Amino acid sequence: MSDRRLPRLLQTPAVLLLLVWMLVPLSMTLFFSFIRYVLNNTIRPEWTTPSLSNWRGFGNYEFVLNSKDFVLAIQNSLLIVCSILFLTVIFGVLIAVLINKSFPGQGIVRVLLISPFFVMPAVNAVLWINMILDPVLGLQGIAVAGINGIVDNLQTMPVLGGFFSLWPDFAPISFRATQTSAYAVIMMVTWQWTPFAVLIFMTSLQSEDQQQKEAAILDGAGLWSQFRFLTLPHLGRPIAIVVMIQAIFHLSLYAEIEIVSRGNGNKNLPYLIGEFANNNIGAASATGIFAVILANIVAIFLLRMIGKTLME
Amino acid sequence: MAIVAQSSRFGTYGRPVLAWAIGLLFFFPIFWMVLTSFKTDADAVKPEFLFTFTPTLENYLNMTANYDYWRFATNSVITSVFATLFSLVVGIPAAYAMAFNPSRATKDVLMWMLSTKMLPAAAVLYPMTFLTKSLGLFDTHFLVVLVLCLINLPIVVWMLFTYFKEIPKDIIEAGKMDGVNTWGEIREILIPLAWGGIASTALLAFIFCWNEAYWTVRLTTTDAATLSKLIEGNRAPEGLFFGRLSAVSTAAVGPIVVLGWFCQKQLVKGLTFGAVK
Repeated sequence: MSDRRLPRLLQTPAVLLLLVWMLVPLSMTLFFSFIRYVLNNTIRPEWTTPSLSNWRGFGNYEFVLNSKDFVLAIQNSLLIVCSILFLTVIFGVLIAVLINKSFPGQGIVRVLLISPFFVMPAVNAVLWINMILDPVLGLQGIAVAGINGIVDNLQTMPVLGGFFSLWPDFAPISFRATQTSAYAVIMMVTWQWTPFAVLIFMTSLQSEDQQQKEAAILDGAGLWSQFRFLTLPHLGRPIAIVVMIQAIFHLSLYAEIEIVSRGNGNKNLPYLIGEFANNNIGAASATGIFAVILANIVAIFLLRMIGKTLME
Repeated sequence: MAIVAQSSRFGTYGRPVLAWAIGLLFFFPIFWMVLTSFKTDADAVKPEFLFTFTPTLENYLNMTANYDYWRFATNSVITSVFATLFSLVVGIPAAYAMAFNPSRATKDVLMWMLSTKMLPAAAVLYPMTFLTKSLGLFDTHFLVVLVLCLINLPIVVWMLFTYFKEIPKDIIEAGKMDGVNTWGEIREILIPLAWGGIASTALLAFIFCWNEAYWTVRLTTTDAATLSKLIEGNRAPEGLFFGRLSAVSTAAVGPIVVLGWFCQKQLVKGLTFGAVK
């Protein structure tokens, strides 16, 4: 057995590194979440340094739970994450089923489709909010102005002009505003992550039982019932995995929120933590613990699923 | 039978047309960015020059003057390369141990490693800033390399583990008979055999390092700032600099998108932790 000791010891550097990486900052967050710790405070200078004598118990948690921003951030996080999940799964399944059969140029279409996934998040956000969605100079602004111009011209027509004068003048939408910026984020992340869903569903479709499918066709099953009773059940597990992995990634969405709106009214949990962390470390840490709990709820289910296949 | 006939007509014309339309639609924003990068800043916002314009390379030639592009690009290359190498140096022995000398705890260790990947980064934002500043590591290449390595280590170990597991144990054991020690086994038998798997793991880790946008932005200011930081800093040009911003963005993502085309399959493995086959 002794000749097995060295080989097994080889995993210790990786384990130790990850252990330190996880435990040290996280236990600091846990500690800070129970004390009064405010960076700029001239009235109570003792609160500007972390110390046990500033113990606040669950005070920071109460403060965070009662703050309006926290409720908004949770709502916004859920809106963004759920919308993205819904859209990417629907688009992902449809596109995967569409391009899974061979057709001319299948390889190129795959390459075109997967590309958005490799665009760095900062570029994704800058590209969408400026060059595509800007209400004046972006494609959206140009398209809306173009449509309005055409309608204006049509209104001068002799007979049909009266009909076209009933058309409204379209107004471009500003996606940097409080009410709309979440939708801009949903759009750009859906664009980026739909390819991920497509890729995974396609991988899974390749292991679909073709004989079963042929039998179904011989029995007169239509395209819809093939999809409904064979393909969709086959995709159940990959869908669950896509949902969970994305949930974990998108709960910590940050760059897109920062770039689109600097969080004006469009905060999510990580953004709120960043804001608190400018001054009120206690509150930032308590919010951080909430974020950890939220992520863990998803992670436990995901890990259980992965664990089942791990040792096969 | 009518349905089968219908479906085949869809297969001949409808499927390719629809599939190409969707593919082009998804690629359009990237195409638009590349196209805009060849327009002058003035032309880029004029509707009359949407598709017809006089292409210019000035945005690319002025990247250094406008954005100091190469400094950020060099930082991205250095940190991503070293982080990838470092994660392989730590990850290969770990994956070797787990794949060829598993114990009862191996599965739990692997699962625990993955769980570290699922912690929200924002939760430890202040402690990380505090620690790195007090250790004098803030805004250093060393720190960025270390953080990127640790972020990717779980995926690297996991991917290597799945590749190593496919190698028959007997081949590795045969080395023992010849009196080769553990290091020799890794260096002379395992690495040459698993070369393809190691390479694709490295490629994927490199892409993830390059695109990382939380810690690279928050733990750097100037010295070790990467391309994510550069783009983030120019988030709102208010229409003035669409041309030059497109050029620098294209330069930042172009190489990675091309690399990405080559590792679609590995992506599935790396991101789903093998749960989808």
